[in-house]
Amino acid sequence: MRILVIEDYRPLRESLTKGLHEMGYAVDATGDGEEGLWYATGGQYDVIVLDLMLPGVNGLQILKAVRDKGCGSHVLILTAKDTVEDRVRGLNLGADDYLVKPFAFEELLARIRALVRRGYRQKHPAIEIQDLHIDLTTQRVRRGGKEITLTPREYVLLEYLALRAGEVVSRAEIWEHTYEFHSTASSNVVDVYIGYLRKKIEHADAPRLIHTLRGRGYLLGEKP
Amino acid sequence: MTSSLRTRLLIGTIGGMALLLAGLSVTVYAVIRHALVAEFDVSLTSTAEILAASVEFEAGVIDAEFEEQHLREFNDAEQPAYYQVWRRDGEVVCRSPLVGAHDLPRLHGPVGAPIHSACRDPHNHRRLRAVGLTFVPRTDPQDQDPPRRATEQDALVMVVARDASRLYGQLAFLRWLLLGVAGATTALALLVAAVVVRRGLGPLDSIAVEIAAIREDDLGTRIGQGPLPGEIAPIRDRLNALLSRLEKAFDRERRITADVAHELRTPLAGIRATIEVALTRQREAGEYRSVLSQCLEITAGMETLVANLLMLARLDAGATTLQMERIDLAELADSIRAPFAEKVAARGLTWENGIGEDFVVHSDRVSLRMILSNLLDNAVEYTASAGHIGITARQAGDKVEIAVANTGCTLTREQAAQVFERFSRADAARGQTGVHCGLGLALVQEMAKALHGSATAEVRGNTLTVRVTLPV
Repeated sequence: MRILVIEDYRPLRESLTKGLHEMGYAVDATGDGEEGLWYATGGQYDVIVLDLMLPGVNGLQILKAVRDKGCGSHVLILTAKDTVEDRVRGLNLGADDYLVKPFAFEELLARIRALVRRGYRQKHPAIEIQDLHIDLTTQRVRRGGKEITLTPREYVLLEYLALRAGEVVSRAEIWEHTYEFHSTASSNVVDVYIGYLRKKIEHADAPRLIHTLRGRGYLLGEKP
Repeated sequence: MTSSLRTRLLIGTIGGMALLLAGLSVTVYAVIRHALVAEFDVSLTSTAEILAASVEFEAGVIDAEFEEQHLREFNDAEQPAYYQVWRRDGEVVCRSPLVGAHDLPRLHGPVGAPIHSACRDPHNHRRLRAVGLTFVPRTDPQDQDPPRRATEQDALVMVVARDASRLYGQLAFLRWLLLGVAGATTALALLVAAVVVRRGLGPLDSIAVEIAAIREDDLGTRIGQGPLPGEIAPIRDRLNALLSRLEKAFDRERRITADVAHELRTPLAGIRATIEVALTRQREAGEYRSVLSQCLEITAGMETLVANLLMLARLDAGATTLQMERIDLAELADSIRAPFAEKVAARGLTWENGIGEDFVVHSDRVSLRMILSNLLDNAVEYTASAGHIGITARQAGDKVEIAVANTGCTLTREQAAQVFERFSRADAARGQTGVHCGLGLALVQEMAKALHGSATAEVRGNTLTVRVTLPV
């Protein structure tokens, strides 16, 4: 899942980037309003974590631009302003959530997870596909009751495919949603990681879960 | 001294009026009483004179034979009148029959001058008025050659008294009438004045109600919007002006409190997120070290913020003490560079100290150091990479002007005018390092003021120049 962090206070921005990245999210971060606007309106972000007081363009302007352009990103406002008017103004301009500084990193994570689920119309915090069980909160994966250990990168790939289970997902979409803007890897790594994932969740005496549709992409679940 | 304006007005007007009425009543009574008594006395005196004319002195003998028509009055028991005649030595010559065994008061004075007095009826104690007439009796005119004519030695004293209860009754009625009229007038006036005063002071009451309705969290209301009497309008205007000033001061306080909260919350969020992210998993010792030093960096920023806020609060309260001394400005400017040297080098900035040698100012070293340090800090923060920072000083009359200029300024003229406001970052956000919160230049200005100087900012092209003017 790809997240954009727009926060001008450097220590906070760096910590959030590091923390979210370690949880497997692809994170782009900037401390400048104009750069943030460019990222927000140009990329396919699942969640944008947005500070309101920014140099250049302020947070509410970015929010408005994102909504005017019809981007599907969910926006979580992160600010030290906690008056009711501030919250109402942010939510009325199209923000999806509001978190007041200082906050618990756990809470920010939980809210980001909820926003991601909302983006894929997934209300339940766990996904079941045949005998595959994915707990979105603890990031634990089981197949047929057997625990499967995944690297963060593999987990993110599986989570994205699971959230869009039953749909054909193109390699470009996977790339857009799981890799950072500044990533040095090429989109071929998607195929490599699909290979790793298959090795871990599939075995000879069970039905296939990840299907390859030549020229179109991948599909998790039953082939239509 | 009564505290109520209403009571004071009522006491003043009604008291004054009652005093006037009393004075007027007493005067009217005195005049009327004098006239009535005088009239009564004149009639009494004429009776006495007629009776006196009837007394004859005949060969050394007093002959007091009064004619019947004159005596009629003195025999009426219903409305008695009395007379009595004495010799000079006090021997009674005659008295009217109704006097009986009693004596009238013997009123004697010089011959021909009647003396008036009030007295009591010896029988029924009614009030009488009496006149005493000392006279020389007439010598019988028919006696052509009297042996001796009456002289002063033979003068007699005649007292005539008459019932004056009617007169005194009338006077008593007049007294009560005047008292009643004055009392009733005062009472009525009190009623009227109470109404008038209440209506007159009504606008004060309504203003008081409006003032009482003002809450401390809503100072936007203004009192006395309707027409008001000329005496109250200035009070209303002053109060409204005071409200405006209070509202502005409260707004400023509220904004600063919100800004302070914001400025403290952001680094707190930074510390918390940094620590929490570090704790999400087991890490290498080196990583913990870097997290700790990051937290230390954040707390240093917070310390600066708190110190600046405290300094501003002290400057606001005028609680700073100055120690004026001679300071070599170029030397001081060089000494403040050290903390910024790393940043200056990292961003490729150039620094030029253009202050001439032996440029001496008379000022407080601690304050001046903070001013220069804040100016340099601000310049380093907002100069674009590879920019230039210059500090110069010049003497202008009895003032010293210190100027710090930096290139790479993106402020507009309007923004430059606001740089001295607290928490006013040019674009409401932090500078390069993320620790600036818009207090530095506010401090510079307040300290310049404390040193009896001033601070101005000017943008020309992409160069921002902040000038501090101080007395020599």
